[in-house]
Amino acid sequence: LKNGVLFPLWQIDTQEYAAICAYLGLTPKARLYGHISGYLAGAPFRFAPPSGFSEFLAGPRLTRWRIGRLDLATKLFIADHPLRHVLNCVIAVHECDGQGYREMAAAPLGWTAAATIVRSMAGLVFNFMLTMAWLGWQFVRYIPRMPFDVSDRLAGKRTLITGVGHGLGKDLMLHCLEHGAEVIGVVRSSESRDRLAAELAANARLTLLVADLSQPGALVTALAETRIPATSVALAILCAAVKHEGQSVLSSPNLRDTFEVNFFSVAEFAGWLCRSGSGDAPAPSPAATLVLVSSMGRWHGMHSTAGYNASKAALSIWGESLEMETRRQGSRRFAITIVEPGLFASGMTRPTPLTRLLLVSRRQVASRIVSGALSGRRAIRPPFAFALFTWAACLLGREFRYRLLTRAKPGADSR
Amino acid sequence: MRTVVVGGGVSGAHVSLTLLERGRDVELWDIGREEEGFAEPGTTFHELKGRLADPVAYFLGADVGALIPPATAELLRYPPSRRFLASADDPLWRFESDGFIPYASFAKGGLANGWGANALSFDADDMAEWPVALSEMDAAYRTVYQRIRVAGPIDDDLTAHLPGIYPSEPPVRLSGADERLLQSYRRRKAKLARSGIRIGHSRMAVLTDTSRRDACDCCDRCLWGCPKGAIYNPRSTTLAECEARRGFRYVSGRLVLSLLSRDHAIVGIRYLDTSTREIREEPCDVVFLAAGALQTGAIFLRTLKAARVEVALQTEGLMDTAVVKIPFVSLPSVGRAPDARSFQFNRLILGMTSNSPPWPRYLHGELLHLTSLLYYPLIERMPFDSRLSKKLFFALRSALGVVTLFFPDRIVTGNQQTLGDDRNGGDTVRLCYRESAEKEQYVRESVARVRSALRHLRCLPRGEIRSPSGSGIHYAGTVPMGDGPKRCDSRGRSNLFANLYVADGAAFPSLPSKSITMSLAAHATRVARLAEL
Repeated sequence: LKNGVLFPLWQIDTQEYAAICAYLGLTPKARLYGHISGYLAGAPFRFAPPSGFSEFLAGPRLTRWRIGRLDLATKLFIADHPLRHVLNCVIAVHECDGQGYREMAAAPLGWTAAATIVRSMAGLVFNFMLTMAWLGWQFVRYIPRMPFDVSDRLAGKRTLITGVGHGLGKDLMLHCLEHGAEVIGVVRSSESRDRLAAELAANARLTLLVADLSQPGALVTALAETRIPATSVALAILCAAVKHEGQSVLSSPNLRDTFEVNFFSVAEFAGWLCRSGSGDAPAPSPAATLVLVSSMGRWHGMHSTAGYNASKAALSIWGESLEMETRRQGSRRFAITIVEPGLFASGMTRPTPLTRLLLVSRRQVASRIVSGALSGRRAIRPPFAFALFTWAACLLGREFRYRLLTRAKPGADSR
Repeated sequence: MRTVVVGGGVSGAHVSLTLLERGRDVELWDIGREEEGFAEPGTTFHELKGRLADPVAYFLGADVGALIPPATAELLRYPPSRRFLASADDPLWRFESDGFIPYASFAKGGLANGWGANALSFDADDMAEWPVALSEMDAAYRTVYQRIRVAGPIDDDLTAHLPGIYPSEPPVRLSGADERLLQSYRRRKAKLARSGIRIGHSRMAVLTDTSRRDACDCCDRCLWGCPKGAIYNPRSTTLAECEARRGFRYVSGRLVLSLLSRDHAIVGIRYLDTSTREIREEPCDVVFLAAGALQTGAIFLRTLKAARVEVALQTEGLMDTAVVKIPFVSLPSVGRAPDARSFQFNRLILGMTSNSPPWPRYLHGELLHLTSLLYYPLIERMPFDSRLSKKLFFALRSALGVVTLFFPDRIVTGNQQTLGDDRNGGDTVRLCYRESAEKEQYVRESVARVRSALRHLRCLPRGEIRSPSGSGIHYAGTVPMGDGPKRCDSRGRSNLFANLYVADGAAFPSLPSKSITMSLAAHATRVARLAEL
């Protein structure tokens, strides 16, 4: 994984920068990396997002070997690949620097120049053969993923995401922005909004709304105030959630708060989205996908969470009910996707040996959720191995689950 | 009598100076933004990279926003450290376009703050469609060449094809690669002459006499703003001369939107005060429009609209030179060390004569061996991976060059300015422009001939780069000389408004291939001399 970058398809971390400099024969400099990093952070909002095979090639971390192959492959076949922007920027920025320019401009004179040219052209032939073989292998690896490749369908779509201040919501937002979507992000406080705005490039296609979802009607009110028409939202991912860790399921204020954020705010938003265009004279409007981010915890109880699992169970069942209702009414405007993620790196997950074993990255989960929703999946459970594990635990009875969960959450069974 | 000149570029400066010479009081209205000074005089382009605290911010902008992305046709972009160019996000910008990229300046001195300095005169063939005899223009040219010192040869192979140029400075210094190319040319001169190709020293409005303190010191920074002021700039010369005279008043902070008229006479000016953002009106007696062909055309259209004249609200024309670049590798220069200091702009020019009616016989080209540029767009365009491209580029750098051809233009139906949406109290102007099929044919034939000539010169041409419409920055023909209410007469006076003069390129009825700055100055001088005041 890349370190400290928001948009891994475009940005490079310091190790990758060092690898590029080694490849180009340049000396890395922190000051120059700052300029490069700033430029690439704004690249998703200036250039078309990569898609298909191009995106597949852009994903993995850059090593010197990979840079060498991708450099030629993208120059010959994929002119708008993010690596072209990266290399162009690195060369430009180093060219502006005194030392960087001297390193680049050092060139042979006289007959040595001609010899260098001939030698370079021979090297090009060898590099071409190597690159073509590598590219072929990469394509073979890409083939199984092709049916699920829907990343390009996000470009230009207005996507609403709640809970973008941190965690999975933030990764969903970054993923959507990186793939060309226009995002309406909902955060809880103005501090969160300001922090997020400062983190992103000024030209990011992002509108940030502040709404405290623990207050009834807050989200719908914020949407109404900004006059965002419901029909303009193509994809809505309701991700905001609270989990009062360590609080009893009998704690009424916390229980109400949990249900208000995790369940009622979702129901209110869905009402706002579904009512639009379905009045007496419904206006023709494009289809929208509603993604309800529930949890694998919805399959079983969990102590000391102020009803988190119960709220997610309610959300999953309610989402299924909503789907039945809209289908019964003959409405084809809405597709409803219920997401039940298992373990992934988040503020709600504590590092234990078991979690470390089963954990997947948030960015992977975000990518799976978006691609699954866009391809019309009605339920997504990333990582699926954890879903199997959960269901197995459910089949083994309540006593087994009690032992497992008290071990997974040591000290949390006190009342 | 209140005489107002609109625009502080080359045309406005020369109109004003000529009117002052006639003893008239002149107000020059301009937006009048000013650039800051240029850093580190005497330091060359490449040396600057080691001297500036943050060279990336200077060359590409703090946010690297001036970086040219890959897979674009653009090879050169004005650096962010130059502030004389306006952009579409400027609140004063009033243009819309469909594929035509307009360049405009709100700076004192206008687009001449960053011009290419090529100083040429039109000849009788260039002005075949003009209702003005060359002899009438020649007196104005002579005056202009006294005001603007031009470096160039007294006599070379192009002298016969470039009449009416009066050099007063020695030619700019050639680079080693230029010298080698010129040697190749001399050996094959007879053969090339048969195909109408000639090469000679450039004619540049630059001070080269080394006995002068402000002479060019070959610091390779022409494009980045000459720190010594050796390249002609009306702001520091002609306008400064005007400001030294009694009767002259430079009024900045005014964007003229339209003129107020009554009974076919201009009675006032409607303008935007750029500091308060208020729209105001002031009376006047005579107006000289010299804001550049695009702005002048826009002001004229809005004036027609305000006067409720029953004519279509579109200009008679819109012209610009099409620009084609042909990169090449000069084989005799492969493996040679590049010059440490050089004049950045073209030191050589290429002239091609042909009989291709309706186009003028002379086609102008600039021959440039690369000395100082940011090279990364060229490296990215090479058909190899970046590492190899970088290596090859610098191994070949002293041998790399480019021929830039400037194609003439004519007034064509459909190429025009029209009024667009109303915004900020001033109407926006839409620029409509398409290249004609006959011009494309002319371009193809000319490019083929130049490529053939390059091969004779032991140069390997590779591809061609067509700049987008509008990037020629030789705009003309929006209120051209001729008959009709939306034109002006041969003296630049509007056919519709008796006290309105069109003193810039808007009045040109055709656009030759040659660079137009000296002709703009000459036309402005002539209009000011002949104006009935």
